[in-house]
Amino acid sequence: MSGLASDEVAEDYKNSLEDLTTNDRFQISNLTVIAKENTEHAMAISRVLENHIRTTPPTQKLPALYVVDSIVKNVGTPYTLFLGRNMYQTFMNAYTLVDSQTRRKLDEMLKTWKEPVPGSLDTRPVFPPDITRGIESALIKARTAALQQQQARSHQEIRTRSRVATPPNWTNSPTMLQNARHYPSNGQAPGYQSMENSYPLRFTPTPQQSQDVDLAALNRDIESLIAAARGEFTNNPLDPSVQQRLKALLDLQGILQRQELTQEQLRLVRDQVSALGPKPVLPTTQAVPPIPAVPTPAMAAAPAQPLSQSFQQLLNPGTLAGLIKATAARQQPTPPPANSMPQMPTGNSTTQPAAASTPENPLVAALRARGLLPGSSAPSTAPTPSIPPAFPFIVPGQVRFTPPVQAPQAMSTSENSMDVQMNTASIKIPRHGLITSLYEAKSNRCGTCGRRFFATEEGKEKKARHLDWHFKTNQRMADAAKRAQNRSWYVDERDWIKSREVGDDQSLADAETSGDSVAGADGSSAKKGPPKQWIHAPNDATLRNTPCPICQEKFESTWSEEVQDWIWQDAAKVGNRVFHASCYSEVTKDGPGPADGNTPIGRTSTPDSVLGKRKAEGTDSPGHHVRVKMEPV
Amino acid sequence: MSLPGLDLAQTSVETEFTPAPPTQVSLARGSEWRFEVAHGTTVRVKLLAGTAELFGTELAASQTYTFSGTKAAIYTWHGCTLEISAGDTIDGLVNGGATATATGTSTGFPGLGGPTRGYGAGGCQSEYVAEETPMVEYANVHFALETLRQEAKATGKDGPRVLIVGPENAGKTSVAKILTAYATKMERQPLVVNVDPTEGMLSVPGTLTATAFRTMIDVEEGWGNSPMSGPSPVPVKLPLVYFYPSQNPLENEGALYRPVLSRLALSVTGRMAEDEDVRETGIIVDTPGVLGHGRPGSLEVINHIVTEFSITTILVLGSERLYSSMLKSYDNKPTSSASAAASDERISVIKLPKSGGCVDRDAAFMKGVREAAIRSYFFGNPIPSTASTALSLSSASSTTNITLSPHAQQLDFNSMAVYNVAGAEDEDEDDYDPSQLESLLPGGGINDYPGTQSQPEESTSTPVLPGTTPTPVPAPTTPYDPAATTTTSTTPSPNENNEPPLKKLPPPFPTTMANSLLAVTHAPPTASPSEVRDASIMGFLYVADVDVEKGKIRVLAPMGGRVPPKAAVWGRRWPGEVVGLVG
Repeated sequence: MSGLASDEVAEDYKNSLEDLTTNDRFQISNLTVIAKENTEHAMAISRVLENHIRTTPPTQKLPALYVVDSIVKNVGTPYTLFLGRNMYQTFMNAYTLVDSQTRRKLDEMLKTWKEPVPGSLDTRPVFPPDITRGIESALIKARTAALQQQQARSHQEIRTRSRVATPPNWTNSPTMLQNARHYPSNGQAPGYQSMENSYPLRFTPTPQQSQDVDLAALNRDIESLIAAARGEFTNNPLDPSVQQRLKALLDLQGILQRQELTQEQLRLVRDQVSALGPKPVLPTTQAVPPIPAVPTPAMAAAPAQPLSQSFQQLLNPGTLAGLIKATAARQQPTPPPANSMPQMPTGNSTTQPAAASTPENPLVAALRARGLLPGSSAPSTAPTPSIPPAFPFIVPGQVRFTPPVQAPQAMSTSENSMDVQMNTASIKIPRHGLITSLYEAKSNRCGTCGRRFFATEEGKEKKARHLDWHFKTNQRMADAAKRAQNRSWYVDERDWIKSREVGDDQSLADAETSGDSVAGADGSSAKKGPPKQWIHAPNDATLRNTPCPICQEKFESTWSEEVQDWIWQDAAKVGNRVFHASCYSEVTKDGPGPADGNTPIGRTSTPDSVLGKRKAEGTDSPGHHVRVKMEPV
Repeated sequence: MSLPGLDLAQTSVETEFTPAPPTQVSLARGSEWRFEVAHGTTVRVKLLAGTAELFGTELAASQTYTFSGTKAAIYTWHGCTLEISAGDTIDGLVNGGATATATGTSTGFPGLGGPTRGYGAGGCQSEYVAEETPMVEYANVHFALETLRQEAKATGKDGPRVLIVGPENAGKTSVAKILTAYATKMERQPLVVNVDPTEGMLSVPGTLTATAFRTMIDVEEGWGNSPMSGPSPVPVKLPLVYFYPSQNPLENEGALYRPVLSRLALSVTGRMAEDEDVRETGIIVDTPGVLGHGRPGSLEVINHIVTEFSITTILVLGSERLYSSMLKSYDNKPTSSASAAASDERISVIKLPKSGGCVDRDAAFMKGVREAAIRSYFFGNPIPSTASTALSLSSASSTTNITLSPHAQQLDFNSMAVYNVAGAEDEDEDDYDPSQLESLLPGGGINDYPGTQSQPEESTSTPVLPGTTPTPVPAPTTPYDPAATTTTSTTPSPNENNEPPLKKLPPPFPTTMANSLLAVTHAPPTASPSEVRDASIMGFLYVADVDVEKGKIRVLAPMGGRVPPKAAVWGRRWPGEVVGLVG
């Protein structure tokens, strides 16, 4: 297994994985075959898979996990071994970020992992039971919490918040017990129950480990938080989460000022503050909840240690200040309560050996509290339709299972950074993410020509104008089919330099002029540039034979397609007399200028400017064989 | 006079063909469907599902696109399903005969004979699905350019100026199209410059053009259409056109090519200076393949282009040797732009893989392309294009193709000021002795005219009355005498004496002018040869007939009305003869 070859295989595999965006059986089996043929690189491939699942957008996590599923079922060892190591993180990370439908699929997949490979003689489950059990118990906890929270919310908003702040409390609630009754079906009941029961125990020891709380510092912190929240409130007065948070902070401040709190309560409050938690009213009144079930000391000992670690981490003054700053800057609207966060991992550690995740908690907590997983972003990164987005409790769940930095980052790099170096090496790197700028970024398509528009208001407007353009063009084409068309002369350099491309997405008025100036370039249209003047040719014979009073030339009648009548080009009726429009403007505008019109004839070198600058005294209007008032040169 | 591929007609055989039922082609992501359609036959392609693009321009779903006389590829980034079916055969008179103007013009395809159908899907001559494509690289070039454009927008600099070089059939024009299409998709306005006289862009072969693209490239019609009197389903593009009446830019050591190039670059620079959108997006220059062989002279011409257009990025396709020489000469060298010194703008040379889909287009095919381009200049697009007109209100979709009606008319010899290239390879009896031609330095220095023989002119024109015959007078002042035109110029040696690239052609016009093109310039008939050479053109006249006795020629003009009194350049050798454009 030479390092280079392995790297290459991994790189190839990564590229192939990036192409996998949908649940495509063919691609997945292809990827499985590749994995099978490269078992000597199993470690590299497993790592690539894990990384890919972690970084890929939520919609593409399921196919990637199906690849894992396919590999472990069809290839087995050594992949089971390599992939099993981090399966807990991989799975939970994905699970927290996908929608409920995908979650159901993941649940189903997980179920099959507990069973032997179908059709295989091997009776062992796909993954060792300890791996699947760990995932399952975590899922159950999250689900329970979610359900419980949902119900509680529907009952009473304030109570909900208080319960969030005091996790031990919810183990009490009847819904909790109800949920707990479902667990035996998953075969996890004993582990789960003991885990639940362990919570109170964990809370009992923690106060003993706590340091004294500096009240003044706490008040300062709260004040700064309130100031930040106020600022936010003025910016976003309608955002309920901001309102809620501000209110929570003010309440907390009131409580601190009004009441004498025990050190333990104060510590809880400080934990709340450190995480900018919602209004922790109830910790002060319901600080010690009743313990519903029989404690199991053996279990309780294990969780206590990581828990205290995480608390110490959080209680570190530097961390607190950092958290406040970070969160204030990030405008985290409803951050989760800090103290609820470590509970679930410790619970996991009690039931299964996948305790590896537990030591991460302080780090993860810090990450989250620094605004990397704010409540407001939760709905976008983790669409959880079954759970209200503002629901705070699911957030700790996400925190625990998600290295939260990665998913948002991966998405933003694919969208924003168009930073490709112009060199031969750089252009060989596939950048599928950037292709979206040509396709998916503009999802609004014109059905006729395939042009894409942004799905924004502006894009819609543009598309509407574009469709107008199509409509008008088609109308004109239907009209134009009746008469002969021809190629226009090319423009000269000057006109070309001055010309600006006209799009097919400009407003109608623009399109009107531009369409005529480009398409109607042969001058068949009577309304070019500065509108050419014409009048209907008079029916009266004498009038028709009256020459222009200025130049004494007669008018020539031409048939106009547009007007469907005989007209006099370049004519204007002034009072009762008809003049050549150009003669008249010469005389009137240019005052005593030379009556024979010394208009610069240089412009005649562009007989058919597409810019609509053609003068009336230009060359013949080719479409009409009309001799329009020629200037004596 | 022989042009390669002139005997195309003999090779085609009338075949009985029953249209095959529509075929579906499924493309996996990142693969492409390559197809070749003969001239005279059409193939219809419809995108059923997924996304697909033809040289960067996306196809609309469920629209039928009709292709004829092309070798192209439809690529998909996401996977797609295409439906391929055989289209109508274009027979001789479909375009123009029916709609000819009162002058009685009609057209046919005598030169093409019966169209040949292939036996691929939809009657393609060849079609297959390829999985290996260099599209990732091409797209990355676009993204790299886009990075530079963003930078240009932020800093107020000029956008990137890209030069695409490589031998023939390496996919240069395809890359140019892809980059252009992607840029317009990002709502940019690239200024695309074609300096390849063998193939026109928005014009006939023999032209050097510059065009700002804002709207999408026509999927079916090469680059699209230049302005017409009527509407076009795909927005028309406005090219600035110069005429270069030779196939080979290196001819005459570039004595004719380079000044035209410089003039074109000047206009492009002028446009860049004034048009903000174009300035930010930059330029894409497509070059003739002959420059891609590293032959003597070609590197000088490339250098000329790089300098004139202040190229920042050189894309080398399909030639290691050229890449290495480009790398040596240009990589990381400062650009020639005025601001380069201040901004430290440097040239980057990029090697791009040639697509496996590049096929050699033989002389016969190229001639077909050329004839189709000239035909469509006068007569429009003969292919009914249902895709572009799906929303059409008219019930008869067959009327929605753009049919143009050129005008035939007679012109007096004496009313014309026709110039011709003084080339080295002239061997016909109509060729002129280069030693009898006026002397003209490539830079446009000395112009000698009758009446002012002894006085060298300033660089500008001498007024010569139209209708008179200005006789070119070289150093030995021998007036031109048609009777004395014995051929002495069988070797290129005279060209080394800075022979004039253009000379005025006095009446009577030779009969060989029939079936060829006259480029009508924007220069007045009295202009000097150098002015005529440098002038952009208004369009083309097709000489249908030369009547020496009456002193008239019958021409086909793109539009009615008087042919503008301008100096014209005879494209005798290039784009050459097109037989049977007018019956």
